[in-house]
Amino acid sequence: MIRLLRQPGNARLAGVFALLSLILILAGCASTPTLSPETARALPQRTLLDDVPFRGQRDYQCGPASLAMALGASDISVDVDTLIPQVFLPGREGSVQPEMLATVRRHGRIPFPVEGGFEALLGELDAGHPVVVMQNLSLPLWPVWHYAVAIGYDRPAEEMVLHSGMTPGRRVAFDRFDATWARSDRWAFVALPSGDLPADDDVDSAIRAITDFESVQGAEAALPAWNALAERHPGSAMTHFAQGNARHATGDADAAIDAFRAATKSDPELAPAWLNLGLLLKARGDAEQARHAFEQAAALPGPWQSRAREALST
Amino acid sequence: MKRLSRLLSPLLIAALVIGSLPAVAAVPDSDLVGTADVLDASTLQQDRERIRDVLARDDVQRQLQLQGVDADEVQARVAALSDAEVSEMADRLDQMPAGASVIGALFAVFVILLVTDILGLTDVYPFTR
Repeated sequence: MIRLLRQPGNARLAGVFALLSLILILAGCASTPTLSPETARALPQRTLLDDVPFRGQRDYQCGPASLAMALGASDISVDVDTLIPQVFLPGREGSVQPEMLATVRRHGRIPFPVEGGFEALLGELDAGHPVVVMQNLSLPLWPVWHYAVAIGYDRPAEEMVLHSGMTPGRRVAFDRFDATWARSDRWAFVALPSGDLPADDDVDSAIRAITDFESVQGAEAALPAWNALAERHPGSAMTHFAQGNARHATGDADAAIDAFRAATKSDPELAPAWLNLGLLLKARGDAEQARHAFEQAAALPGPWQSRAREALST
Repeated sequence: MKRLSRLLSPLLIAALVIGSLPAVAAVPDSDLVGTADVLDASTLQQDRERIRDVLARDDVQRQLQLQGVDADEVQARVAALSDAEVSEMADRLDQMPAGASVIGALFAVFVILLVTDILGLTDVYPFTR
């Protein structure tokens, strides 16, 4: 080390080397994201959703601007100035992720998180869904958090196409995009009307998203989404259960009974489905069938056992 | 004062809890088990969860107001959050990344970011391409 200090040339070299390795440690390595062979075969070479309207951002307003674009692509016309008081946090000079999702719900669209990384992102684009992504354009130590809307990709050129900041249709190399996106743990979502589902097949994540939407917009608004999900995943008991609840809340008791029946068929151990089935059958006057459903619920250990026993004894 | 608050706080908690249950109360005839109840069932006892949620919603409302959100917007903003999002915001709003995309104090590290931009690791300065 002392020797190095005596020789200025070497010291400078060592300094540059140290700086470079520091940068690499800070940044992690950027490498072009790869697609699995099946996805690579299934996805087209390029996709561009050119009907996504562009909304430019002013200072700090990439959150409201990205929302305006994603909602606009889904036929909800709302301008950035309306969205600013709904999602922007003046004290933080930015917008936080949960409020981005909440604002989508307020405008009657369902925010589905995109959780499968780069492949899932391209999959959504291929399905025609623009994707709101969160990036850290800088390094973790000095973050520059940014929302943008992915509207396409070009595999031969290895480029993403983004509506970002003041630039519509900005092209960013796959590796650079993925490096900045990875710093937000690849956070992304699509905003879809009730009844449309994301390309991604994760049923649990979809159930969560629709349930959260339903608690803001009500059962009637959520029912088309439940119907679509039940059609895609006929074996998902929890989906039929949720569908039954939404049908019941909109006053369609007979259809609700069918849905709860389907739920118990898919998963005979889903106690709340038996319980709800029993309650509705009882209200309809089918005492015998209601009793059978309550017995099934009462036999299953869990938080609903006591209510089922209560229903049996009355 | 202490006695007064001891008297008031259970009443306040009860009022908040009752106020938070419009969905449950609005169910038409028979009282079915809700979808969200089942999804959350594995986490904790539900009544305690509800109280926690109400307090967290209050807390987030206060925090948003402190951050400069208009008083008449605060309630609608918090109402659109899911329970999980509310508790996440109540716990760690300060550390949450806020998308803003403005380079402020970053000038000091201009050179480093310039290098990483050229290496394709970051995307701070559009003029590097």
